[in-house]
Amino acid sequence: MEEREIAFLTVPFGPQHPASGHFHALMKVDGETVLELEPHPGYLHRGFEKLMEYRIHPQNCVLADRLDILDPFPCELGYVNAVEKIAGLEVPKRGRYIRIIMTELGRILSHITWIGVLSMVLGFDSANKIAWGDREKIIRLNEMATGGRIYPCYLCVGGARRDISQEFVDETSKALDYLEGQLSFYDYFVFKNETFVMRMEKVGRMTAEEAIDLGATGPNLRACGIDYDVRKDEPYEVYPEVEFNVITREEGDAYARSLCRRYEIAESISIVRQLLNNLPDGAFRMELSPVWAAPEGESYFCLEAARGEKCFHVVSDGSPFPYRVKIRPPSLSHSLVQFPYLVKGSAIADVPAIYWSLDPGPADVDR
Amino acid sequence: MRKMGYLSDKFSRTFTPFGILKNLFRKPMTLQFPYETLPPVEGYRGRHTIDLEKCDGCFICSMICPNKAIWPVEFNGRRYPQVDLGKCCWCQLCEEYCPNGAIKLTPHSMMVTMDKESAILGLGEEGFVPRHK
Amino acid sequence: MISNIESDLKSKFPDSLLNVASEDKRITLLVKKEELYQILSQLKDTGFNHFSDVSAVDYIADKEFELIYHLWSHREKIRAIVKVRIPREAPAVKSVFDLWTGAQIHEREDHELFGIDFEGNPNLSPLFLEDWEEIPPFRKDFDTRKYVKEKYYQEDEQYPIVKG
Repeated sequence: MEEREIAFLTVPFGPQHPASGHFHALMKVDGETVLELEPHPGYLHRGFEKLMEYRIHPQNCVLADRLDILDPFPCELGYVNAVEKIAGLEVPKRGRYIRIIMTELGRILSHITWIGVLSMVLGFDSANKIAWGDREKIIRLNEMATGGRIYPCYLCVGGARRDISQEFVDETSKALDYLEGQLSFYDYFVFKNETFVMRMEKVGRMTAEEAIDLGATGPNLRACGIDYDVRKDEPYEVYPEVEFNVITREEGDAYARSLCRRYEIAESISIVRQLLNNLPDGAFRMELSPVWAAPEGESYFCLEAARGEKCFHVVSDGSPFPYRVKIRPPSLSHSLVQFPYLVKGSAIADVPAIYWSLDPGPADVDR
Repeated sequence: MRKMGYLSDKFSRTFTPFGILKNLFRKPMTLQFPYETLPPVEGYRGRHTIDLEKCDGCFICSMICPNKAIWPVEFNGRRYPQVDLGKCCWCQLCEEYCPNGAIKLTPHSMMVTMDKESAILGLGEEGFVPRHK
Repeated sequence: MISNIESDLKSKFPDSLLNVASEDKRITLLVKKEELYQILSQLKDTGFNHFSDVSAVDYIADKEFELIYHLWSHREKIRAIVKVRIPREAPAVKSVFDLWTGAQIHEREDHELFGIDFEGNPNLSPLFLEDWEEIPPFRKDFDTRKYVKEKYYQEDEQYPIVKG
């Protein structure tokens, strides 16, 4: 018998923006089955943690929303809360309410963007365009409150930089009513669509033990049955005063993760409504000088971003510059640990469905 | 019997005449950009404007800028700030910390240029105009 | 819950625990580097099955790195923070990859950015940077601004005072 050499084909996935975000992976492929996937992150690495050591706190707060631009409010919220925790500052009540209203609106925006991108990658372009039109409602609210459409630059140490007006409250109620009507439309158009269900059901399945071992958090973990939500387990800001449910499913496949996110949009809408009804009056900001320095110490603050558990570890040495800032991104384990694990043995056509059902943010991975 | 139920379910989900007719009379979500645009909201962070009477040359704006986009320029024997719009991140910290309210951000945000030099907002006879015209 | 875990650890590792502090839902340990792996293994058996991350702080004045491990227990809903100091010359620690699979990627990032060696980690190749020839960039003796000015700016490109 003569010896024959078998070579496997190497197919790149990304880094063009519409296919996979700014993320590159090399797949080793045998026919239609993927044998192995090697991720190559680093296209968006800016060295944020080192650059933050050269800037004072107001400058860091404003640049922090470039950490994950699809969901910028938790990035600013985490940094600001970590620094306030070292100093033991008491933020006024209205400032806390405004922060969480904008954060939950940002969570709805991130999930709607995710619906759009997932549909586009599966080839379902109509849902992409409709989702992009619905994003516009929340982007107009951002514009009214913060002055910028996508980059809010809104929070500061001690509160929020601007107040919200009565016009914003009225427009938000109208936008939330519209979005609730749209959710039933998305149910009919996307989530119960036969092609969508066939492409996402039983694909990329994780058991609960595997998910915990690989470091999954956020909707990826809740789709496997574990109810871990930082807003309920280690509450921060005004979350002890609102009521909401933690959405879990049992199957652990891509369809379960999609349904988790769809029901989280409804929960966020209800949280914003409760907060708008109970909005207190008064000051929204503590006045601090720009070269205000936190005392010596360190703190570790965890919060629930749209993608999962995001943590900030800030070390301060008594000067206006932070000594060390470490950010734990939720997408690091989504796209570099879970994605190569789930893709082994699946078909090439399932790779985009698995990747976007995990909802990674490439800017979040690289920082 | 199951096949009949499946077919009638598909029929009722696909055949929605009133849903389709409603879309005939709805306005599209898109705007034809150069001819129609969204009205700017007040408080939007756009191009800078400097009031030369109020500025006293303290350069706090230059010190607080996170990207070092504001630098001094000499005009009429005094120094005023000039802004490099290519480096600016539109954060409004210069307006927040200016003690006299001299530098402000206007809602004007449609700015396009083809070369880097013209992105520096310099000073001219008319006040605060871009160099490229 | 927390008091059980505290007393358990104190009885098993009497001379490695330098400091134990606990508040509402967190327990913070400062340990010596010799029995670090055993302490982390004991914490995993107690129920801390979620590995959040491992971060490093460069204390250049004390000539030490401080490694901080963050763990979470899904069953008891408690967070554990384990801190350890290792010397700055030739820093090396045993990897916890066989306890938690998700730890491998965080150790790979710390190896690239700080130069800490994790023995037993299957893949410590560079993650973000390509063709990097200087010292690990997040250390305190690496000046980012000086490096950028020398490598990327042709002449002094800061704006001189222009006569307008």
